Amino acid sequence: MEVGTVVFYLIALLVVASAAMVAFSHNIIYSAFSLLGTFAGVAGIYVFLGADFVAAVQLLIYVGGILVLILFAVMLTHRITDVQITNRSAGVVPGLIIVGLLFWLLYETITTTPWAKAKEIAYAATSAKIGDQFLQSYLLPFELASIVLLAALIGAVVLARKEMKG
Amino acid sequence: MDLDNLASLEYFYPEIILAGAILLVIVLDLVIKNKRVIGALSILGCLASLGATLQLYSGPSGFLFHRMMVLDHFSLFFKIVALAATILVLWMSFSSREVASLHQGEYATILLSSALGMFFMASATNLLMAYLSLEMVSITSYILTGFLPRNRRSSEAALKYLIYGGVASGAMIYGMSWIFGMTGSLDYSQIHAALFQGQPNQLALFIAFVLILAGFGYKIVFVPFHMWSPDVYQGAPTPFTAFLSVASNAAGVAILLRFFFPGVSQLGPDGSWRFLSGVEWPQFLLIVSMVTMTLGNLSALGQQNLKRMLAYSGIAHAGYILMGLVVLNTEGLQAMLFYIVVYLIMNLGAFLVVVLVANATGKEEIDGYRGLAWRGSAVPAIAMAIFLFSLTGLPPLAGFVGKFFLFAAVIKQQFYLLALVAVANSVISLYYYARVVKVMFLDFPEASDGRVELNPGAATLLGLLSVMTLVFGIYWGPLVAFTSQSLQFFTK
Repeated sequence: MEVGTVVFYLIALLVVASAAMVAFSHNIIYSAFSLLGTFAGVAGIYVFLGADFVAAVQLLIYVGGILVLILFAVMLTHRITDVQITNRSAGVVPGLIIVGLLFWLLYETITTTPWAKAKEIAYAATSAKIGDQFLQSYLLPFELASIVLLAALIGAVVLARKEMKG
Repeated sequence: MDLDNLASLEYFYPEIILAGAILLVIVLDLVIKNKRVIGALSILGCLASLGATLQLYSGPSGFLFHRMMVLDHFSLFFKIVALAATILVLWMSFSSREVASLHQGEYATILLSSALGMFFMASATNLLMAYLSLEMVSITSYILTGFLPRNRRSSEAALKYLIYGGVASGAMIYGMSWIFGMTGSLDYSQIHAALFQGQPNQLALFIAFVLILAGFGYKIVFVPFHMWSPDVYQGAPTPFTAFLSVASNAAGVAILLRFFFPGVSQLGPDGSWRFLSGVEWPQFLLIVSMVTMTLGNLSALGQQNLKRMLAYSGIAHAGYILMGLVVLNTEGLQAMLFYIVVYLIMNLGAFLVVVLVANATGKEEIDGYRGLAWRGSAVPAIAMAIFLFSLTGLPPLAGFVGKFFLFAAVIKQQFYLLALVAVANSVISLYYYARVVKVMFLDFPEASDGRVELNPGAATLLGLLSVMTLVFGIYWGPLVAFTSQSLQFFTK
């Protein structure tokens, strides 16, 4: 196996293992910290794909922003560690069988499907190209995303604020 | 035509006006003290946008913004539906005591944003746009569901909706990534070309389609993506529940049809669509349709809360609408469009009566409807009877004509089992709809039951909706002409 492949699988393992920690941990602080591995690992996968800009943004926004915000929210919430989140799991055996079958189905399909392969990945700077695309072909989604964010922002404020009247 | 960004603006007025109205409402909400003005202003914005949309209807079709979205009769039809629903719901909100206690500016803003998202759902021809627009509608819906302050049920409903929505859109985007992986493109026409020229793996395609259907299906509310709907319908402010039940459903149908028909099927000369060979799609939808309507109707039987009952009836109606998809021809699709319009009218009407009764009694349970005809004005009870019988599909009401077209399309293609199940379901649904009518007319009110007041605004709207339900039940020609004209996809 090439070194690149080995590194890729190590990163993938990091992502999946951290994600499993997030889901299965009984303590919400551990869950929050485990997100670090997932977010950082995904940034690594972007690097593999030659998407330098997206990888940097992933680090800045997810690791630097969202994760810190989640940790703040968890830490500042009063007595959150006292709440034991037990993820009561009912029907483990049938669940495992279904998941196993699904995994087998997806695995078989993925390995037999002729995927449209990308040309060789060029490890070149992409940010200029992304900027161009945002103002040309992808102008509409770019603008739409801003309206989505505006609506989400207003909604968050409305839902979170205290009632002033009455 | 295939226009670039600047040239597209000329055909983009409905969206620009609506986006302008959204921004205007946010700003004016800070200045204007009288909150009714905000609602009136939002309606005005929608009407202006509607005018622009109708004007485009007689104009040319084409791709806009580098093939990100398409302008054709089909997308314009669903824009008109979304706007009509928004206007009627804003109108309905005037008479809702529940909505009066909310922040009007934000309520109107988010409702209009949701309508804007539906515009893009109807016209997206790119998986990226499809995803973004769907998320826009979803996010605004989560917000409005949890909009009632200090209301545990509303907050719980919003959280449930958010979690189900997150899972559904996660599944959908995973399916989209499979499509992208197989075809190397996000653009519908390129996906179409790649799938029909190449030799795609049929199983992989089927899996991808099922995953994508999870995202679309949770908007249309069919089984097994329906679990959120009863709780959300019950918890959300009632006018918004009405909006969710008609507009969100219609937008889901729009995005589904756009993807599965011009996207991955081919139109034959005889008006029948040919799906990718080897993918047993119609059979799959046939089963989904039957299960959806049966489960919806059977669950509705025992409901005491009217909003919950209408939620299950909404699931059943999603099943009826899906029947039009199974036959894979133009006739079926046209019947679907017709049914969407009719369903919009009668369901909004039913929710309006729920709003009026809740205003008077604060109750949404069926005992709040006891002797409704003898408590003050008899108009709400009579109108409710019309809407409920129309939902059942009894002649001479619009719901009957809608169902007739759907059944006819199915029977002509010899899907007898489906038609039989649908008829049996209509009979079941008669039981729970008629139960409400019985309570309203044959039971006597008790002294504690409040009188139902009817303000002029609500009375006009109620009259309008019931007259339309009656008129389309007798004289459906213009609506049929409009829906058949609207079934035009622009693909080249």
